[in-house]
Amino acid sequence: MSELILETSTASMRRNFWRGVWRVMKRKPSRMAGVVILLGFTVMAVIGPLFYPENLPYDPNAKYAPISWEHWFGTDGQGKDVWAQLVIGSRYVLLSALVTGVITVVVGAGLGLFSGFKRGRWDTVLMRLTDMKLTIPGLPLLLVLSTVWSFGSAIEMGLVLGLLGWGGVARAVRSQTLSLRERGFIEAARGLGLSTTHIVGKELLPTMAPYIAMNMLVAVTGAVYAQVGLFFLGVLPYEADNWGVMLNLAVFGGGAMTTTAALPYLLAPLLAILLLTLGIVLVVDAMDEIFNPRLREE
Amino acid sequence: MTVVLKKLAGHLARGLVMILVVATISFFIVRNIPGDPMKAALEMKVAAGADPVAAAQEVKVIYGFQPTGSMWSQYVDYLAGLATFDLGTSTLHAGQPVTEVLTESAKWTVLPVLLGILMSFLVGVILGVYAALRRSSKLGDILAISGSLLHGVPQYVLGLLLAAIFATSLGWFPSEGGVADILIEPGFTPEYIGTLIRHAALPVLTYALASYGGWVLAMKSSVVTVLGDDFILASELRGMKRSIIFRYVARNAILPLFTILALSLGLLFAGAVFIERIFNYPGLGLKLIDSVTNRDYALMSGAFLLITVAIVVANILADLLYTVIDPRVRQ
Amino acid sequence: MSKQAPGVRIDGLTVTYNNLPAVRNVSLELPPGTITGIVGESGSGKSTLALSLLNAVQPPGRIAAGSVEIDEIGNVVEFAAEQIRRVRGSQIGYVFQAAQNSLNPLKTVGKQLLDLGRSHGVEDLRGLVRDAKDLLGRMGLDGARVLDSHQHELSGGMRQRVGIMLALVLNAHLVVLDEPTTALDMITQSTILKIIREVHEERGLTTLVITHDIGVVAEVADRLAVMYGGRLVEQGPTREVLASPQHPYTRGLIRAIPRLTGDIDEAQALPGRPPTLATVPAEGCVFRERCPLRMDVCDTVDPAAEAYGTRIVACHAVKVKEHA
Repeated sequence: MSELILETSTASMRRNFWRGVWRVMKRKPSRMAGVVILLGFTVMAVIGPLFYPENLPYDPNAKYAPISWEHWFGTDGQGKDVWAQLVIGSRYVLLSALVTGVITVVVGAGLGLFSGFKRGRWDTVLMRLTDMKLTIPGLPLLLVLSTVWSFGSAIEMGLVLGLLGWGGVARAVRSQTLSLRERGFIEAARGLGLSTTHIVGKELLPTMAPYIAMNMLVAVTGAVYAQVGLFFLGVLPYEADNWGVMLNLAVFGGGAMTTTAALPYLLAPLLAILLLTLGIVLVVDAMDEIFNPRLREE
Repeated sequence: MTVVLKKLAGHLARGLVMILVVATISFFIVRNIPGDPMKAALEMKVAAGADPVAAAQEVKVIYGFQPTGSMWSQYVDYLAGLATFDLGTSTLHAGQPVTEVLTESAKWTVLPVLLGILMSFLVGVILGVYAALRRSSKLGDILAISGSLLHGVPQYVLGLLLAAIFATSLGWFPSEGGVADILIEPGFTPEYIGTLIRHAALPVLTYALASYGGWVLAMKSSVVTVLGDDFILASELRGMKRSIIFRYVARNAILPLFTILALSLGLLFAGAVFIERIFNYPGLGLKLIDSVTNRDYALMSGAFLLITVAIVVANILADLLYTVIDPRVRQ
Repeated sequence: MSKQAPGVRIDGLTVTYNNLPAVRNVSLELPPGTITGIVGESGSGKSTLALSLLNAVQPPGRIAAGSVEIDEIGNVVEFAAEQIRRVRGSQIGYVFQAAQNSLNPLKTVGKQLLDLGRSHGVEDLRGLVRDAKDLLGRMGLDGARVLDSHQHELSGGMRQRVGIMLALVLNAHLVVLDEPTTALDMITQSTILKIIREVHEERGLTTLVITHDIGVVAEVADRLAVMYGGRLVEQGPTREVLASPQHPYTRGLIRAIPRLTGDIDEAQALPGRPPTLATVPAEGCVFRERCPLRMDVCDTVDPAAEAYGTRIVACHAVKVKEHA
């Protein structure tokens, strides 16, 4: 009986939630644009590479060709089409971002819940650890790691970034668990005779989903920047198809800093990152309003 | 005052642990690098006819610990070296001690980072106040949105864009190195200062732009929060002058930002990697990359360690600063 | 500067938030030298009414109609921003609820006192500090120490006394106290009430106390006004109103008070809930949903406030009874 009440109330909460999402989305068209951008990138990464051969054709006579109908973003130093490289590179970037996202959520939410639930000594130890992890400079650590790891595959990259990036989610989930506990949420559910699995799975996680999603988005964005950045710095092998490799070749190989010929080659991946950022910022803005009633405009 | 001291002691202890952890990480990475560079170096020297003991000593000088022996003894060796600020010798810089290389490059990082952050802090905080007070106006909206965009864009994208615009296309500023010519004698000559400033312009601007958005957003939300506080209404009802109320708002709102300021100083050391790579600026970050690409392991772990130390110090500073400026924490 | 307690006449005051009335057509007189208590549940509009006295209704709220005439000051509703600022604090004191943080957490009480003095052009700041110390000492505090303290170093009762000091130190003779005892423990409550009464006498003030606690009013107020849904439903001398409440809401309120001695079951809670800004009926009597004396006319006509002897009541049923 009591279970039924809780069940139906969360169900209706969820329905209201989606209606709220729709309302928030509709009010500002820019938010829709954000969703469209992110969907566009997903499509690009999933089916885009299928349109191009394994090895892109190159044309030695058209090095750093200007922007034309044939080459939307010109060509690189070997005469390869920049747009094609961009599309192919998006798969690595987004796939590793996805892996990072999954890991940050699973590890972060798991540890955060555990910490907030158990409290006491476990909590102290875990949070000290998280603090420490948040203090170790991520990018320099990645640089150092690159001497023993080659990050050839997107999944490997996503794995490492995920393992480095769960701290934020863990903190958010923990503080949420603690605050729900403080408000008597957990005790009340216990009092109704609900099992721990039920409390965590059916009650806690849905309530915290927004915070997890927000922090995941932050982690994923950071991961995208970090991996593209790592490739850009040139400490990783050039074989991978990644926007960062394009940036690196444009700047340090094509002399995009000294001549304007290679500028399209440099700007294409930059624009891609900017657009992706814009999409994420717009979606986060929408999420902010959905999840934070204080910001909700009347 | 005893509270401050107690906190300081706690922080120092935790900071030391952090540094130990990072030192341990880099120790194990260097020791477990495929191909064992130390053993290779030792074998090379022995093959070249050097006395094995002397050769081992030479390798120790380079890496900070003996190439042979148990892992434990190597680890202790390495930590003992750290305690005396002996980080080994750089292979990239022809046998120069790592500490020397690092102190030389640190100043190229510290000054631009400080300058950039302080600039953006000033501008960002002022505009953040404006965005908060005029949050329903067009300009306030634009400020907030531009803030979140700049905040969201990664540093290297900003750096590359600035370089593409101001160096490549317009040619206003150089984007290569710290000075135009190593032949220019360092000193307080107009020539040296001039080239210094021209070369620092784009890196500093990048640091500033990259952190500006964060200040606008943080200050805006902080001011909005304080404006809703009871004591602001109370001051208004006591007929306080607007200028005084404004000072109350500003001081209360800026408080949490000082913590972020100190923290971001530390984080920018880590971020300097990108900006220094883009502008080929001879700071710590560039040294880290150079050491990684050239497999100069002693320099690599030294730079990594120094960057971590910067962050730890920034954390400590942030907390102490808070203790000093917020009377509530002092209790 | 007025040296006497001023009288206040609120006439036909209406305050709206986004066109929803929080205070509707309220008329109330504060005779010079009296303590008036306004009682009401949260959302009844009593705090908005109190802020109107300083023309300090917070946006999006605004005073839509009516006037607040204060002796020797004028109709504050018409005052411009700078004009009203000069009046606030110096001629009208306002004391916040103790639980609310009415002090800047970063500055000592003394520094805020000086800020207050500078805001009102006080030249003799030394004298101001002396007055503040005297006032604090009068309220049983160590003045010098309090002035040197930050807000977080003071207890709730001490903060409340600091609030009273800041409201009076510039020699205001009209004082508004918003929930002066809420969130204080019983002993501190009675100390504060005693201070309010004594200071009121000594300094010759006109005092307005806003509270949800009818016990507070019973203890300090000469006159009592009851608010419900933005309307003043009943007002009159405290003793009379408490002894023979006329309006059904006032009766319900008094019946709901549990007594220390006697059966707890005697206290009867008022059925139903007070209206919020959005649910308050646009026409007819605001109380009819919970009213035991409801008549047909209550649905359509808002009862006018009418005087019956020393009492002013806004109720159709009372009117019918009186005229019968």
